[in-house]
Amino acid sequence: MSRLHQLAINEEGFIFDPATGESFTVNSTGLFILQELKENKSTEEIVVALSKEFEDAPETTERDVIDFVAHLKTHRLM
Amino acid sequence: MSKITIGITGINAVDNPGPGVGVARSLKEDKELDVKIFGLAYDAMEPGIYMDWLIDKSFILPYPSGDQTAYLERLYYIKKQYGLDFIISNLDAELPLFIKYQNELASNGIQTFLPTQEQFRLRGKDRLIDVAEKINIKFPASKVVTSYTELEKAVDELGLPVMVKGAFYKAHRAYTTQEATGHYNSIVAEWGYPVILQRVVAGDEMNVIGVGDGEGNSLGLVAIKKMWITSSGKIWTGITIKNEDMLTAAESFIQRYKWRGGFELECIVSEGEVHLIEINPRFPAWCFFATGVGINLPSNLVRKAMGIPLLENADYPAGKLYVRYTYELITDMEPFQLISTKGEK
Repeated sequence: MSRLHQLAINEEGFIFDPATGESFTVNSTGLFILQELKENKSTEEIVVALSKEFEDAPETTERDVIDFVAHLKTHRLM
Repeated sequence: MSKITIGITGINAVDNPGPGVGVARSLKEDKELDVKIFGLAYDAMEPGIYMDWLIDKSFILPYPSGDQTAYLERLYYIKKQYGLDFIISNLDAELPLFIKYQNELASNGIQTFLPTQEQFRLRGKDRLIDVAEKINIKFPASKVVTSYTELEKAVDELGLPVMVKGAFYKAHRAYTTQEATGHYNSIVAEWGYPVILQRVVAGDEMNVIGVGDGEGNSLGLVAIKKMWITSSGKIWTGITIKNEDMLTAAESFIQRYKWRGGFELECIVSEGEVHLIEINPRFPAWCFFATGVGINLPSNLVRKAMGIPLLENADYPAGKLYVRYTYELITDMEPFQLISTKGEK
């Protein structure tokens, strides 16, 4: 199981990684993306879902999702 | 089940605490185990002596570095006068004595559950590289040095900063060759040769605590990450984790070496790789953390040694927090007078 799938995520966006003991927080958008990633959704699917979830999603949504995923990779979560 | 009297050392619950109070608290938590706890102290000021809700009676022992016959006679006196079935030794300085005399103690009715002499030697820094390799984790690049020339060569190869360590005790970080030489001199003066220089591995400090049954089986394991440490490197806040590589290494350690007794593996985890730093052949001071998350290691150690059915260890949860705190105890002069004048109270 990947580290991403092992993450403990609470509703307020507090994330705990049981493999390393590290914890961090994300905002509601980050929380939404993480939950989608845990369900094995692709970047394209997440962008579509985000646009539906947040009516005022900016045009840069796709780039922001890619950046967020890259950030997770630097933390070795993906 | 009749009451078991257990002597526990390391009840010096000070700023750099011994493990004894956590061990005593763990044993008292096991309501099926009817225990009387004897605190075995080396100084009248050890706080455990005054913690009568955990320690039922306390005794002052002579120093283990002194006359070993006197040390054993003190234990036999306690056995004869008050009964003493079992001892959990928690301090590095006394472990060699208890390991050496474990059979003699047993023949006098005092049980222990300790590693063998050979297992005890595994903790030597010159042996750790081999242990790490066999349990499939990393070991920081190290050099064994016995002279200034070798020291300077090792510093050149390993770079700065560098850890300067005694074979069994002491570890200092040095930022310059001069500083490394100073630490080298102090370690040689106190502990002798060899001295080990070790590359500093930057990462998270993670530890595993466990008990091996001496036959290759684990009696429980708990992994933690230190979140906040004191200036002397002791844990103040920590969290349980499930680092599978580290837990698998601890299982392999027990299985491969048929480890007998409590132990702690100190590791640094850097970029997903586990580096072995130390093996402590005893419980660490934070051992009650494991008990608090449902893995009562001191109790299972006693149960195994005394032939009592083991506690079924459920899996522990990751994400449980450990917070150490200070506490003040106000008491009368009488216990201090008794322990000072009679050596027991």
